Amino acid sequence: MAYFIQLIVEGLATGSIYGALALAIVLVNRSTGMINFAQGAMAVLATFVAYALTESGTPLLVAIVVAFVFAFLSGAVVERVIVRKFEGGDPDTAVVVTIGLLTLFTGIAAAFFGYEPHPFPSLFPAESIDILGVFISLRSLGTIIVLLLVMVLLQSLFRVTKMGLAMRAVADNPQSASLSGLPVSRLLMIGWGLAAGLGSIAGVLVAPQLFISPSMLDFALVYALAAAILGGLDSPFGAVIAAWTIGIVENLAGAYVSFIGDDLKIAVPFIMVMIVLAVRPQGLFGRKVVVRV
Amino acid sequence: MKNFIANTKVRGLALAAIAVFLIVAPLVSSPFMNYQLSLVAVYAVAILGLNIVMGYAGQVSLGQSAFLGLGAYVAAYGILNDWPIVLVFVLSCLIPALVGMLVALFAVRLRGIALAMVTISLPIIGVPLAKRFSEFTGGSQGTTVSWLDAPDWSGLASDQWRYYIVFAIAVVLFIFGRNLTKGRIGRAFGIVRTNEAVAMSMGISSYRYKVLAFTVASMFGGAAGFLYIGIVQYTSPETMSFHNSINMVVAMVIGGSASIIGTVLGAAYFVFLPAISGQIDPTQTALISGVVLLVILFLLPHGLVSLPRRLIQLIARARQKLNRAENAGPEDAGPAQNETGPVSAHTTTDVSESHPESPSKNT
Amino acid sequence: MSLLELDNVGASYGAAPVLHGVSFSVEENDAAGILGANGAGKSTTLRAISGMVTTTGSIRFDGRDITGMRPDKIARLGIAHVPEGRGTLGDLSVRDNLRVGAFQQRDRKTVADDIEYCLDLFPNLRARIGSNASTLSGGEQQMLAIARGIMAKPRLILLDEASLGLAPSTAQNVYATIGRLRSEAGVSMVIVEQNAALAFRVVDHAIVLETGRISLQGPREKLMGMDEVRRAYLGG
Repeated sequence: MAYFIQLIVEGLATGSIYGALALAIVLVNRSTGMINFAQGAMAVLATFVAYALTESGTPLLVAIVVAFVFAFLSGAVVERVIVRKFEGGDPDTAVVVTIGLLTLFTGIAAAFFGYEPHPFPSLFPAESIDILGVFISLRSLGTIIVLLLVMVLLQSLFRVTKMGLAMRAVADNPQSASLSGLPVSRLLMIGWGLAAGLGSIAGVLVAPQLFISPSMLDFALVYALAAAILGGLDSPFGAVIAAWTIGIVENLAGAYVSFIGDDLKIAVPFIMVMIVLAVRPQGLFGRKVVVRV
Repeated sequence: MKNFIANTKVRGLALAAIAVFLIVAPLVSSPFMNYQLSLVAVYAVAILGLNIVMGYAGQVSLGQSAFLGLGAYVAAYGILNDWPIVLVFVLSCLIPALVGMLVALFAVRLRGIALAMVTISLPIIGVPLAKRFSEFTGGSQGTTVSWLDAPDWSGLASDQWRYYIVFAIAVVLFIFGRNLTKGRIGRAFGIVRTNEAVAMSMGISSYRYKVLAFTVASMFGGAAGFLYIGIVQYTSPETMSFHNSINMVVAMVIGGSASIIGTVLGAAYFVFLPAISGQIDPTQTALISGVVLLVILFLLPHGLVSLPRRLIQLIARARQKLNRAENAGPEDAGPAQNETGPVSAHTTTDVSESHPESPSKNT
Repeated sequence: MSLLELDNVGASYGAAPVLHGVSFSVEENDAAGILGANGAGKSTTLRAISGMVTTTGSIRFDGRDITGMRPDKIARLGIAHVPEGRGTLGDLSVRDNLRVGAFQQRDRKTVADDIEYCLDLFPNLRARIGSNASTLSGGEQQMLAIARGIMAKPRLILLDEASLGLAPSTAQNVYATIGRLRSEAGVSMVIVEQNAALAFRVVDHAIVLETGRISLQGPREKLMGMDEVRRAYLGG
């Protein structure tokens, strides 16, 4: 039983990392209707910035903050300079554009830091605490708590602040929003910046465990995509729930279903996605597109 | 008409020149170059499949490497078990085609991103599966096949012999692909891509044609896998990796989406970019590739294949500008001047009496 | 100086020209109507003013040239465009729609007062204040769209087919409120309507568009008296 709970907590922790990335994907999708396949690669580059800073002696927390700011700016610039031209165009071209960004950002990281993995310091001590006989690692716990914090912050940004309101309005209908004087293009930049910032959080959370390398988040990205699709692409809440579910189910299946094991557990979320999509093409939490009068 | 004849003549000459080049090239270049050129043929077949489903039929596919890898495994397994070579080739095409069809039967109901998701999961699931079934695949080590050596009577080195075999098969597959895309089915793909509603009104089942496109694409992927085993003589789970898929998509777009020649250009790019940048600094390959793709998307959205057309366009536009500047006379009347209907020439009474000001606004 | 001046304005969608040399002006505290058949260019005229189509000629607002300006900048100058049909943000609540309308107001108290004012104007919205706009009826959505426009405290409202798809009594209701708004808030208006009888309840003068050109223009009384206007737009 203790082992079972441990598996669940670890699943929640990995799920939280997919969740942060999935939130970023949903944010971009809601504001610009695109799926950013480069979300992971952009996060990795930002994490490398934190890595370079810590290597040169900067305190980890400062390095992480700088990485977040870097990610925000790079996201905003990418939207303004590259993505803008393809918004509202052919969706297949948009996919190819973000694949180009994926290649580009991976390339930038590789050109500066090479492909070998480097160790990355963790915010949380590598210890476990004993709660009623269940050993829970502080890293897992910390990761889960950070994601919960991120969710609360995002929720308050969107629900309480004026900028959040404006971002929701632009996500809903940019043209209509512009008629109320909302600076649509700036809000889209902020949306991409925020998404990239979220990605950088996923990056610094997972880097101590995976070691940092240009392709560190490639798989996490695919999991995050699965979570975003399961969650319904326009539902941040749904995306996180789906990410947690994926993390837990994957962990349990890997441990208890002998055929699946550690190597094939990666297939689990995709099988889940396929089953869900076969039944509910709009995802678990997505709404059917409402035809408005 | 004259233009047309000249065009076909030029085209015929160009084709002949290319054919001569392709026949002579392996005789005069190094084994390494022959290997590279043969790889271009291999990936041209795989990218042709990708182009059929993505370029022509407009369905995102990020899983082509899975079919390439599957075809390669089938070929390797068949050859190692001494199956007749024709049977091995047919199975290398059919098994991936079947898998592709099964996936498509379910997946093409989805669009855009969900479809991208399902297709990207194929290589991601494929890699651990390949490792798992090591009795067929050789696990992570991969599987090596030594075959397709040049027979003595040919007087060729093995690299030359393999080159000719692979090119011959690739050319046949390309003729098949070309006829498919230029024919009735290709037109149906085009209609499904541009407007499913129109397709439906014309009695074209977009579902069926999308499944067909995926099946054909997977078949080409499998055939490319067979050729891959012919040239590389080795395959491992890495062949399936989703980076390979993504790089094929990148190469396809750079070469030219929905274009046969673009497919070949894309394959050449796919093979030669890492080879060339590898000599300078292998860690720069991805960076260069990303920049090239984005530049192409901005400047040449139809890929390298559209470069001549685009240049002609630009030159023509520059010339027009020049002419206009020279004439500096009356501007040609734009279509905006066209009368679109009878306008009643009523008195248009002007009203501009001022209204009493009341500056108060609601608060 | 007029509040809004259009001088020889043309507009096209791609290669298809829709407006040809339209010129008219709207004074401060004035309500102008644009009448005409389907496809005459009425909506396009409004879209030209609010910067949603590329235009030729010149458009001046309060003496300032706004031709070619981005829609959000034009909106910030004090022009509220209530577009035809879907003028609401469907995923946002009624209250949030109104708050979006007040995006440029800094003072929270004023915004709260303005929301109250709008709910007084359109009492139907009060009960639906927390619902998503997409769940509203067509009439309620139209009211919300207008209310969102008012929230910006504009100097000029562009109203496009406010009666479209509404039950006649609802349409009457909406126009009664528009009339009330005019007398209370003193805001200038350009009103596009197919139902000229409704428009004439509010406007002082009107232009009639035919295939992208002004065929008639004049004060309300004069237009209402003209046979061709009665036949074409007033149903006898």
